[in-house]
Amino acid sequence: MASTSPELGDKRRVVPVLGHAPGTEKGTAQEAHTTGPPRQAVVQRVIPKDELSRKAVSYSKFYGGKVATAPKVPVRSLQDFSIWYTPGVAAVSLTVANDPEASFEYTGRWNTVAVVSDGSRVLGLGNIGPEGSLPVMEGKALIYNYLGGVNAFALPVRANDEEHLISVVKALEPSLGGINLEDIESPKCFEVLDRLRAEMNIPVWHDDQQGTAGVSVAGLFNALELTGRKLEDSRIVLFGSGAANVATARLLIQAGADPKKMLVVDRKGILHPERDDIDQLLLKNKWKYELALKTNGDRLKGVLIDALKGADALIAAAGVGPNLIKKEEIAQMNKHAIAFLMANPVPEMLPSDAAAAGAEVVATGRSDFPNQVNNSLLFPAIFRGALDVRARTITDTMVIAASKELARHAKDKGLTRDHILPTMTEWEVYPQVAATVGDMAVREGHARKKLSKDELLLTSTNMIQHARKTMEALRNCGVILEPPE
Amino acid sequence: MAHVRVRHATKDDIAVVADLIVRLKRLNNEFDPLFNVVDDAKERATKYVTSTIGSPRSLLLVAVQGEKIIGFLRAEMRERIFYDPHMEGHITEMYILPEFRRRQLGHDILEQGSAELIKMGAEIIVGDLPARNEIGFHFYTKRGFRKLVETFAHMPQ
Repeated sequence: MASTSPELGDKRRVVPVLGHAPGTEKGTAQEAHTTGPPRQAVVQRVIPKDELSRKAVSYSKFYGGKVATAPKVPVRSLQDFSIWYTPGVAAVSLTVANDPEASFEYTGRWNTVAVVSDGSRVLGLGNIGPEGSLPVMEGKALIYNYLGGVNAFALPVRANDEEHLISVVKALEPSLGGINLEDIESPKCFEVLDRLRAEMNIPVWHDDQQGTAGVSVAGLFNALELTGRKLEDSRIVLFGSGAANVATARLLIQAGADPKKMLVVDRKGILHPERDDIDQLLLKNKWKYELALKTNGDRLKGVLIDALKGADALIAAAGVGPNLIKKEEIAQMNKHAIAFLMANPVPEMLPSDAAAAGAEVVATGRSDFPNQVNNSLLFPAIFRGALDVRARTITDTMVIAASKELARHAKDKGLTRDHILPTMTEWEVYPQVAATVGDMAVREGHARKKLSKDELLLTSTNMIQHARKTMEALRNCGVILEPPE
Repeated sequence: MAHVRVRHATKDDIAVVADLIVRLKRLNNEFDPLFNVVDDAKERATKYVTSTIGSPRSLLLVAVQGEKIIGFLRAEMRERIFYDPHMEGHITEMYILPEFRRRQLGHDILEQGSAELIKMGAEIIVGDLPARNEIGFHFYTKRGFRKLVETFAHMPQ
């Protein structure tokens, strides 16, 4: 069977290794080797990538896909098809035709999510097309199923451009309770998400933006608390301006961070309203353009080291390390600094180097270091909650509520510099986050179905437990075979 | 926002306005590769601004906040020898720094520029834009302007 170990979390965090990786986000692990410090400290703690790759290819061929639709009604005899299908089903169709919202009651729509990609930016592999993205989307669907009890399926599509993709996704609405967008290149992903959120009546989620942002913000809440800071007073530097960090910046502002105390740094330096490329951003990336106008109240110019002077927190999603950020740059930060180094498979700098340079709390995207910022902590629960109330959308407020719940869960177990977030093995966190999301949807008026928070907790717990029990049962009775060696 | 005023440019403004002109030309390049900006654009812009300030048939206004120049409008008088209206106030360039947009500054500098051009004898005000600059198109049409001339370009093989 396909495992759901922490290594199979969000795909940006899948390969926690240094090895002969193909291209990653903005470089290659191999390049990192040639320029990096000795790597034994990292390599000795992880499974060699070649072994993971070999198993992934071999198992995928063995199973022929990671998820499948399965019946959920009994077929006691062939006569039952007269109920489940024609002629009986016509009465159900008429009921739904008369009231399309009844499709959430009489079909599986209420719990169904499509994981949609155009394959334009898959993992660190670039534009490998919809077929190439299919294994990744199947993996995502599996995580949805196992951790969130969501009936998710992979649906890569051949869409020629932004408008085509938007049109295709909108056409799917009658069949679905929600849409998970995945691996769509930036800045196209911003326009696609914003348009679909505005124009569709079911939740649309782009995990590379909202998922990463939500977990980062959760981690930051606790890191700030641990180091005695308040979000609104903190100077936060975002290094990298791709989908994840642009979304994180937007969510942080929604959560109460002071945009004037935030700095965004990309390969051209600190973002500010008079940078030479500002008009280009206006036309090509209006989301980054807006950040250029909103952030950097002091109108600082320069590069990362200038931005980090007096900074409280760094959130780096800039590209593969380990030498992208230097110790002397971290040393410019305030005492008890916070450094989130999110690039995979190799963080922008080694956590040990960040700590040696003065960082008090260090988080990465990897499961083999403390404080893994892992999207998989959030997206199954977010959708569980949204589906349970048949939400029409997932708002930023709902994401922030989820982030706070995630942070609270870690806090309840005791915050330390090595424990600011739960891990994927703490399955009980998922129903809690789901209930919080559903409750916020009800309170904000985005829910078709009004449930109390207690009811939501019960529902989500049952759904997630059911998914886990189903897996266990299918394995025990040999329907899902153990993988070949 | 601190008070912004519009005034005539002086020689002291040449360097800053030249920078803004280069920004504008780079923006034009975003709309069309046929507006590829030359390497020595800054030097050319400096000469251009200098000659504008010295010309009685040209107009150069700057929008200023405190001591900082945040935008400009350049125009010149042109004669329409075959047409009435006969004298044309032709806005060749206009630019506001991004941070100061959406605050009516473009409107204010256009109003003042038009008034100054009328004083110089203009009977009609026209402005140039790259064909694909939809933002600029909406800016002008919102203020009562309409398309007058279309320029067609072709790169010979």
